[in-house]
Amino acid sequence: MLRERLLESEELMRRTGCYDGVTELTLRQQDPLKFEALHTKLRAFCVSAREMARRISASPGVREVGEMVVAIYTPEGDAVALSNGIMVHVHTMSRFIKWMIREGYENDPGFRDGDIFANNDAFIGTVQVPDVMDVMPIYHEGILVGWAGAVCHELEVGGITPGGDVCLAQERFTEGLFICAEKVGQNDELRRDYIIRCERNLRMPIYWVLDEKAKVASCIEIREGVKSIIAELGLDYWKQVTKEFIEEGRRSQLARTRQLTVPGKYRAHTFYGHVTEGKPGFQPLGDPNWLYNIPLEMEITSEGKIKLDFDGTQPWGFHSMNCTPAGMDGGMFVTLTQHMNFEGLVNDGAWMATSLNLPEGTWTNPDNEQVATATSWALLLPAYGAFQRLISRGFLARGYVEEVFVGQVNSPMIEMGGKSQYGTRFGMAHFECAAAGSGALAIKDGLDTAYVGWNPESDMGNIEIWEQNMPMLYIGRSILPNSGGPGKYRGGCSFISTWLISKTDHLRLVTSEHSSRVFDNAGMCGGYPAPTCQMHRVVRNTNIDELVAKRQPLPHGIGTDPERSDLERLVLGDHETSEGPYITAPHKAGDIFTHAYNGGGGFGDVLERDPVKTASDVENGFMTRQAAEQVYGIVLIENRDGALEADLHATADRRERMRNQRLERARPVSLWLDQERRRVMAGDFAPEVRKMYRSAMRLSDRFAAEFRSFWGLAGDHEVADGGVR
Amino acid sequence: MTAYGTEIIRDLIAGQLPWHQTKHIMSAYKDETRFLTYLKVVQDRVKWSDRILLPVGPHLFIVQSGHGRVTKCECGHDFGNYRRNWKLSALIHVRNDRESLREIYPNNDIPDPEWMEIREFLCPSCGTLHEVEACPPGYPVLFDFEPDLDGFYRDWLKAPLSEE
Repeated sequence: MLRERLLESEELMRRTGCYDGVTELTLRQQDPLKFEALHTKLRAFCVSAREMARRISASPGVREVGEMVVAIYTPEGDAVALSNGIMVHVHTMSRFIKWMIREGYENDPGFRDGDIFANNDAFIGTVQVPDVMDVMPIYHEGILVGWAGAVCHELEVGGITPGGDVCLAQERFTEGLFICAEKVGQNDELRRDYIIRCERNLRMPIYWVLDEKAKVASCIEIREGVKSIIAELGLDYWKQVTKEFIEEGRRSQLARTRQLTVPGKYRAHTFYGHVTEGKPGFQPLGDPNWLYNIPLEMEITSEGKIKLDFDGTQPWGFHSMNCTPAGMDGGMFVTLTQHMNFEGLVNDGAWMATSLNLPEGTWTNPDNEQVATATSWALLLPAYGAFQRLISRGFLARGYVEEVFVGQVNSPMIEMGGKSQYGTRFGMAHFECAAAGSGALAIKDGLDTAYVGWNPESDMGNIEIWEQNMPMLYIGRSILPNSGGPGKYRGGCSFISTWLISKTDHLRLVTSEHSSRVFDNAGMCGGYPAPTCQMHRVVRNTNIDELVAKRQPLPHGIGTDPERSDLERLVLGDHETSEGPYITAPHKAGDIFTHAYNGGGGFGDVLERDPVKTASDVENGFMTRQAAEQVYGIVLIENRDGALEADLHATADRRERMRNQRLERARPVSLWLDQERRRVMAGDFAPEVRKMYRSAMRLSDRFAAEFRSFWGLAGDHEVADGGVR
Repeated sequence: MTAYGTEIIRDLIAGQLPWHQTKHIMSAYKDETRFLTYLKVVQDRVKWSDRILLPVGPHLFIVQSGHGRVTKCECGHDFGNYRRNWKLSALIHVRNDRESLREIYPNNDIPDPEWMEIREFLCPSCGTLHEVEACPPGYPVLFDFEPDLDGFYRDWLKAPLSEE
């Protein structure tokens, strides 16, 4: 029985410390070339199956942006090899397969050759409802020898608000169409009743249904490839080599940690502001505003094991940003594949060389399986951005400065639905968010509009493709100046899109994953965070037709004056500026909507930034001249050709003054602590800040003890309750 | 086995190695001798003679001084025992109003200072900005990194440190 085999495998791991009890890599030792060549071939199967499947999909998210991943698993559900793409789901699919095995699916509904199982329930194994996964068993002469699996991120899931990341979901019952580890097909065909269910419960079923076909095709492609390998090498070799691949992946991860880092304790934190007060649609199930603290402590043991601890973070809530252990595992896995698994075999073995403490009752591990996880990325991405900074401190200490990375950021989604430009009902998530700015490196600036943590193969998609799929036309898609966090090496810049709503009288626009009132990222080693609490700026009932008829200037972005945007400067109409998730009345043709993505944090002291590089940044719109001078102390002058260049002497003088000014206005930390302690004693904070402290202290004895100890408070001291200050 | 000369590592750390060489280093197998070369590069750079045991920032090091292991700025400023958070011995400038936040973010939306402040930790001698924290008011100062220095030298480098 498969369930007994799974338990035996886990017991062998516990007893020997090695995957499935594989203490010797016998096949690797016997013929390392055969061993390596086979893993490369399996990886090629996955990459090729994914590329083929993307051509079947109708979704621009999958076709253009590549929101898909394909992987091969052992019979027990451990990943052996994987494609590029949304690798976060390689491990969440593993959880899905193991869940079915533990629940006795082998007997009922049964595993048979040609079966198709699907799931998008995060408590079984995925991150959020739009990440729909399909797996198919692989049989050889009647014996289950593995699984083929594929995930696509769906652009529409039929939730309370349109799109995939259903911002308004406050419980699972409003998140959209759930498929809970169901057998959705047999004999290599999707069941007709399943397709009918999808067609009747989604706003835009063509995306989901064709993605299903794409995933099934890729699974069949993988399955046939694996069967051909077994026919060539024999079943015994296959069974043993797949275990050795995973054990070698585990050993590689431990070796990389010992090679690249330093043992010890590392700490970081990040924060997220969730503000929904006064926004339509949110049920009064809890406080409308919430400040999330996400403290991380990482221990690297002398063995090389990475232990990550989320103790001290906030409880789950009636919002869509909760996460499950599957999602948290996935976040860890995708981060390791990017930063440490550049040598050796990439598979579930890497994850086995780590451990996570996800305190029960927190957003990382809710003790209530009815919570919503539709926008879990909102907290997950900042959390693993902090993890990237933690391991980067190890890289920096060890001298591998080229690997130091300030980390990923949230890249907020825009979702939409209503009447399309063709007069039909539609729904879609706009996936150009898959190209944010990255954090800086310790030796260069971050990537501009070219990175997100969940899919390192970053792509924003072509404007023309998006315009085919929504009733909005781009009047601007441009770099957002200064959106990278300042530093010797600045964070990568993000972009902002400006759309004219067109050919519709009912367009619902909803956004998620925009932090309010706090930055949800950080800088490193003197670098500042990127400015990520960005507002939405909108104009309704515009005079755009008149502007066009008179050939007057149109806004192509919001400009560089945060107090008066280009929209306000150039367009007449009803102007709105709103923070956090955008959720309001439907739009119609002629309205203008802007949506900005996030840049990454900076690295190092701003006064060390290269003036010549900065002149180029200003010339090309990555930075304003005001920021160059005010933040970096870099004086720019126009040369004879009218181009900007750095005045090195004036810059040196200005920087000297700035350095002196720093010393003059700063004070010893000890004095500042004395003053702050009085504030802490009085609980003189905004209600949401007080609530954050109270919640963290209630859930974590360690957080409470450290908080009291740091401020020298009594052992029973509590931060005063929320309410009006 | 991959290995790089001192000059290459020096230029890499300074961010001055040409991109094609940097990219090659990123893509190649890692050089096992990196840490020792790294220590030599930073030791040559500083103007004092205390032995650097572990760099913990671009200009911040744990060193073996005459009075034990301490955290030290590149300028020579001594922050005290490395087991105590060096930030507690630093200077601080806190940006907790709109005006001071605007100085760093002149053209973008800024946090609500009631919810988040920016703390700058500076060397009292040279004014180098060693670390920035962005957190709600009242949040304890973060001790970013507590290395297991003895374990690192003993178990990983196989070169145990002498008694502290």
